[in-house]
Amino acid sequence: MVLHEREQGLPDFVREHDIDHVTLDIIENALKNIRHEMDRVLVTTAVSPVIREQADEFPLIADRQGRMVVGQFGSPVDTVLEHSPYSVEDLKDGDVIALNDPYMMEGSTSHLPDILLVRPIFYDGEHIGYALQWGNLMDVGGSTAGSIPIDARSIYEEGVRMPPVKLYDAGRLNEEVLRFFCHNSRTPRETRADVMAIAAGTAAGAQRVKDICDRFGKDTYLEACDALLDRTRTSIIGLIHQLIPEGQTFEFEDYTDDDGLGNGPIKLKLSMWREGDILHLDWTGTDAQVPGPVNFLLNHRMFQMFAGVFLISAVDPTILFNDGYSDVIKVNIPEGSVLRPEEPAPLSNRLVVMARLFDVLGAVYAKAIGFNVSGSYGTSPNFVYSGVKKDGEPFQTMEILYGGIPAIPGKDGLDGHSWWPEFLAVPAEYMETYYPMIVAEYSARKDSCGAGQFRGGCGIKKVYRFLTDGRITYQDDRHHTFPYGVAGGKPGAASRKTLVREGGEEVELPSKVRDVPVFEGDRLVFETAGAGGVGDPLEREPEAVARDVRWGLVSAEAAADEYGVVLDGGAVDAAATEARREELKGARGELPGFDHGPLPPLEEQRRVVAETRRAFNEWLSGELGAQRTNGRR
Amino acid sequence: MAYNVAVDVGGTFTDVLVFNEETGELTEGKVLSTPEDPSRGVVTGIESVCEKVGIGFTDLHLLFHGTTVVTNMILTNTGSRVGLLTTKGHEQVLLLARAWTPGPLYGWMALQKPDPPADPTDTIGVAERIGADGSVLLELDEDGVREAVKTLVERGVESVAIGFLNSYVNPAHERRAREILRELYPDLSVSISADIGQEYGEYERTLTTVVNTAVQPRTMLYMRNFESSMDEKRFGGRLSIVRSDGGAMSTQAVADRPIQIALSGPSGGVTGSAYLAREIGVPDVLTFDMGGTSTDVSLCLGGETPVRRDIQLGYFHFKSPAVDVHSVGAGGGSIAFLSASGALQVGPASAGADPGPAAYGRGGEAPTVTDANVVLHRIPPGVALGGTLELDEEAARRAVSTVAEGLGMGVEEAAEAILEIVNENMHAALRVVSVERGHDPREFGLVAFGGAGPMHANALGRLIRSRSVIVPPTPGVMSAFGFLSSDIQNEFPETYLRNAEDTPASELKETVEGLISQANEWLDGEGVSEANKRFDLYADCRYYLQNIQIPCRFELDELAGEDSTFLRARFEEAHRQRYNFELPDSPLEIATVRVVGRGTIKGVSLVESENGAGEESAVLRTEQVYFNGAWRETPIYDRGLLRPDHAVEGPAVVVQDDTTTVIEPGYKGAVDRFGNILIEEA
Repeated sequence: MVLHEREQGLPDFVREHDIDHVTLDIIENALKNIRHEMDRVLVTTAVSPVIREQADEFPLIADRQGRMVVGQFGSPVDTVLEHSPYSVEDLKDGDVIALNDPYMMEGSTSHLPDILLVRPIFYDGEHIGYALQWGNLMDVGGSTAGSIPIDARSIYEEGVRMPPVKLYDAGRLNEEVLRFFCHNSRTPRETRADVMAIAAGTAAGAQRVKDICDRFGKDTYLEACDALLDRTRTSIIGLIHQLIPEGQTFEFEDYTDDDGLGNGPIKLKLSMWREGDILHLDWTGTDAQVPGPVNFLLNHRMFQMFAGVFLISAVDPTILFNDGYSDVIKVNIPEGSVLRPEEPAPLSNRLVVMARLFDVLGAVYAKAIGFNVSGSYGTSPNFVYSGVKKDGEPFQTMEILYGGIPAIPGKDGLDGHSWWPEFLAVPAEYMETYYPMIVAEYSARKDSCGAGQFRGGCGIKKVYRFLTDGRITYQDDRHHTFPYGVAGGKPGAASRKTLVREGGEEVELPSKVRDVPVFEGDRLVFETAGAGGVGDPLEREPEAVARDVRWGLVSAEAAADEYGVVLDGGAVDAAATEARREELKGARGELPGFDHGPLPPLEEQRRVVAETRRAFNEWLSGELGAQRTNGRR
Repeated sequence: MAYNVAVDVGGTFTDVLVFNEETGELTEGKVLSTPEDPSRGVVTGIESVCEKVGIGFTDLHLLFHGTTVVTNMILTNTGSRVGLLTTKGHEQVLLLARAWTPGPLYGWMALQKPDPPADPTDTIGVAERIGADGSVLLELDEDGVREAVKTLVERGVESVAIGFLNSYVNPAHERRAREILRELYPDLSVSISADIGQEYGEYERTLTTVVNTAVQPRTMLYMRNFESSMDEKRFGGRLSIVRSDGGAMSTQAVADRPIQIALSGPSGGVTGSAYLAREIGVPDVLTFDMGGTSTDVSLCLGGETPVRRDIQLGYFHFKSPAVDVHSVGAGGGSIAFLSASGALQVGPASAGADPGPAAYGRGGEAPTVTDANVVLHRIPPGVALGGTLELDEEAARRAVSTVAEGLGMGVEEAAEAILEIVNENMHAALRVVSVERGHDPREFGLVAFGGAGPMHANALGRLIRSRSVIVPPTPGVMSAFGFLSSDIQNEFPETYLRNAEDTPASELKETVEGLISQANEWLDGEGVSEANKRFDLYADCRYYLQNIQIPCRFELDELAGEDSTFLRARFEEAHRQRYNFELPDSPLEIATVRVVGRGTIKGVSLVESENGAGEESAVLRTEQVYFNGAWRETPIYDRGLLRPDHAVEGPAVVVQDDTTTVIEPGYKGAVDRFGNILIEEA
C-alpha cells in the first residue's frame, strides 16, 4: 500500500507539536533556502543546455517516511523503494538511488530523459529523511536523438531504462552502472557530467539538513517536519473552504492534437467538487491511452501538488508547498487512460498532454472560484537538431521553445515567455558558437496572440538555418486545436512549422516529427502557439491596441477586425473606432465563456489528424528514399 | 597639509568623510541628499565637513565620489530615449528577453515585467550578419543603416545603441555603422555593444548597451555640473568616480561607460571592509551591510574585494563588473506579518523611509524590524536616530502587538521573534556567499556596518559562528571609507572559448599581452604613473559546456608551455571546494581572458590610536534591555569615549550618532588599536 492513499484516519502528523513557533518558522525558512541552494549547485555545474541555460530540474527534501516537506512536485520516495530491492533498513549514509523508469516511480518523473536521484539523509547514524533532485538529461538513447521519438509504440524504443539502483553505495560511486548507463546515450560525456551535478545537488541538500540538526537538534528537526506538514494541511483545508463552494461539480475538457501516429484529438476531462474538507478531482471521461508516446503517466501525489499549488498561488504564495495535504485532495485517475497508461506504453512525448492538463485544471478552478483565471497557454516544444559537424565531431542540440503566456484578468500575457518557472531561452550566440546553425530570426509572432480586453501573449517565430546535413526532431502541439480564450477573449493562433529547402521548396510539417533529414542551407521556420485572451476585445483600451500595432505584435487589419480599433498613421482614430466597434458588436452573437476557436466537428478533426500524419509519412518516406539514392538532395 | 575626501550619495543622506593624510584622523558628516540635483548635497556636505576640520576646498587632494545618479535613472526608467539598431530578424530581442518567469509554478501570474528600455517602436533591424566564428556571412547594408538612423532621429530618439549578433567576436559591422551615424549626425551619442560586453549572450549585451546609452546624456550632464561646481570652489585635486567593482575612474571615463558606476555606492562598504581586513590582519572576512530595506553581504578572501561580471537592478540583469554582493530584502524597515498558514514572515516588503517604521511617528503602522528593536530597547530610549529623529516607543509597541496577537505571544516575545526571523533571513544570505561556496565561516571575521548592521551583528556572528565580529569606528559611513581606499581600476575581458588542452600558451600570451596594452593605455589616460601600475591576469575557466566561469589567476611568465593545462589544477581545486566533484574526462574551456589594470592612489591609511582613556568611564547610563525572554539592566556606552584598552561585557549597547552596537549576554566587546569593536564569546 502506498503511504499517501491512506483511506481512514488522520495522517500521523496531525496533532499537537512540541516545537516553539519561532524555531518552526526558522526551520521552514532554512528548508526553503536548501531547495534554492540545490538548484544553484545543479544549474551552475551541469553541462546540458536544458539544465544549464533553461533550468529544467527540480529538487526536494522529504521526511523519514518519504513525504515531501519542501519542493514543488511531490515526493515519490515510497514508490521508488517499493519498486526497488531495497527497504528503508537497507539504506546507508552516502547511498544514492538513481532511476529514470517512470513506471517504477508511478510517474513522478514521467519520461526517460528525466533522471531522479534519491539520497537518504542520516544524522548520527539515524535515518532522518531524503534529498531528491531530478534533471532533464540530453539523451538517454532510444531510437532518436534527444530520446523523444514521437512515433514510439512502446517505452522500449525510448531509451535505456534504469530501475532503482544504488548509484552510490555508502559514498562510493558505482562506476560500472554509470558507465553502462552513459554508454547508451548519444551524449555520454554530457550525461555523465549532468548526473554528477545532480548528485552534487542532493549532497548539498543532505548536508544542509544535517546542519539544521546540528543547530536545533535532530528531534526538533523531525518534529518540525511533522509540524510543517500539519501546518500546510490546515492551510489547504482553509483555502478549500474559502474558495470552493460545496454542492456543485465543476467540469472542463480540452484536447491535445494527436499522439504522433495519427490518432487524435485526445480529450482530457476533469471534474471537481468539494465534500466537507475534501476536494475531489476526477479525470473520468478522459480518453483512453493512445498508441503513440504522448501518454502522461500522472503521479497522484504530483497532481495533488499541482492542485494545491494553484490554490496557494492564487491566495498566499508564502504558504509552504508540501505533501501535508495529500489526504484532503482526493484524485481519481482512471486506469488505462492517457493519464494512467499501462506499461509498456510509450511516454517520451508526454509534455503536450501535461501542458493541456494545466489548461484544464486552470479552467476548472476558473469555474469554481468564479473568476476567469486565464486563457490557455501557447506551447513549449522541445527541438533537437543532430548530426556530424564538418570536422567529424557528432553534435546534438536540445532546446525548449516558448509560446505566449495567457492573459489574466487585469493583465496582458507575455510574448514568447516560459510558462514553466525559472526557465530561460537559449541565446542565439550560444547555439551558434557550439552548434552548426544560424538563428536567422527570433521574434514575437504577429497576430498570434488571442484578442481580448487583456490579450494573450504572442507565440514566437524562430528561423533556423542549418549549416550541415543532419536530422531534426521536435514535439509541439496546438496545431489542430487552439489555446482557448475566456469570457469573450479569443483563442491564440495554432502552432506551425515550415521546412524551407535550400532550393526554395516549402513543406508544412505536422506538430510532432522525428528525424526529418535536413541539409546544409535548409531553413526551419518554427512558430509556437499564442495564448488565449481574457474579456471582450472591443473593451480593450484603444491606445494599448495602437501600441501593439507599433510594436509589431498586432497587424492594423487585426486591430480593425478583432478589436475594432481604427488607426490613422499609427494613432487611434477615436470616432472611426467607436463606429467600428458598434458595427462589430451588432454583427456578433453572445460571447462564449470559453472560445476554443474554429474547430470542425470531432469526426472531421480525427480525419484531418490522421490524414495529416499519413501525408507527412508519405512525404518523409520519399525524402528518406531520395536521400539514400542521391546522398544529398 | 593634504586631505582626501569621499562622498557617498544615498537615497536619504549624503555621507562625507575627510581623511587627514598627516594625522590619519577621519572626520565624518551627513547632510540630507538633494535628489533634484544631487551635486548640491555633495557640495554642501563637503563644505560642512571642511568647516568642521577647518580647511577649504583648496586643501583637498583626492576626491572620491559614489553616486546613485545612474542607479536611479535605471530603476525609474528616466534615461534618454534610445533608438536601437539590431541584426535584422532580432529586433525583439529586448521584448522577448530570455523568456524568464519567476518560480514557483504559476509564478508568471505575478510577474510585473517593465517595458524594454528601448521602445520596440524605436528599434530597427539592419541587414548584416557576423557568424559565431567572426566571419562575415552578410555584408552590412550601409544604406539600410543610413535610412534607419534617419527614421529614428525623425521619431525623436536622443541617442542610438547598436547591438549586432556576434559582434563580441568581430565588431567590424558595429564600428562601421557607428561611423556612418557619426557622419550623418556628429552630435548624436552612439554606443556599440562590442565596446560594452565581450561575452556571448545577445540579450544581456544589447540590454547593457541600451541602458548604458540611455543613462549617458544625463550622467555626463551631472558630471559636468559637478566638475564646474568643484571648479567654482577652486578644488584643484583629482576627482574620481567610484565604480560598481570598487575601483575608481575619472569623469571622462565615466562618460564612456556610465553603466560601470550603476552600483557605485554599495561597492564602497565591501572595498572598505577588505582594506580594513588587510590592515588589521584578519584577511578573510564576511561583510554584513544592513540598511533600511535590504542587507548586502559578501565574502572577501585574502583582503581582496570580490568581483562578479553581472549585476541585477530591479527586473534587469546586466553584464558589467561589480562587487560580488548578495542582497536579501531584510532591513530595519522590513515588515513583519503572518502568512495564511500562521507562519511569521519578515520582509521583503519594507516600510521604506516614508512612512518608515511605526517608531518614526510618520504614520507608519506596520510592525518593522526597527520597531522590534525599539520595543526591546536595543535602540535605547532617548536615543535619536541620526542624532535628530526622536523615536516613538508606544507606536512601535502598538505595531508589534498586531503580530503578537496572531502569534499568541506578549509584545516583547513577538519583537524578539521578529528579530530572530529577520536574523535568519540574513543568516541565509551569509551562508549563500560562504558555506554554499565551500568556505567555512568559522575561519572568517564578520565586518558589520550600515545603519542597522551593528545592531544585528552579534546575533549574525553567533548564528554563522564566525571568528569575531568587527564593528569599525565609522559603521554609518563605511562606503565613504571604502571609497578612500579605492584604486584607479578597470577591467579588459575577451571571450576566448578555447580548450586549454588545445591552446599553446604562446597564443594565450599574445591575447593577454594585447589586453595588458589596452589596460596600460587606459591607465595612462587616467594619469597613473608607471610605478603605481599593476596588472592582474585571469582566465575564467569551466568544464566544456558548463555554465560557470571560475576565475583562475596567473602570471605572465607561466605562459610558456605547449598548451595551457597549467590552469587545470587551479580550476579543479576551486571546483572541488565549491561542488565536491571533478570531471577528469571533460576538457577545460577557457571561457574568458581578463586583465584588470590598477593604479594605486592611496587615499587613506589606518592610524593606531593611543591607548586608554584612563579612568574615564564610557558608560553613559543603564537601561532595561530585553534579551532572551527577560528585561535586563544593561549599560549604555558612548562609542566616542571608548578607547583601545576598553572591554565591554555583554549585555551592553554602544551608541554613536548614526548607529547602535548591541553586545549580547555571554559576549564581550574589545576595542582594538584602530578603534574597531571586536565582539567575541566571553
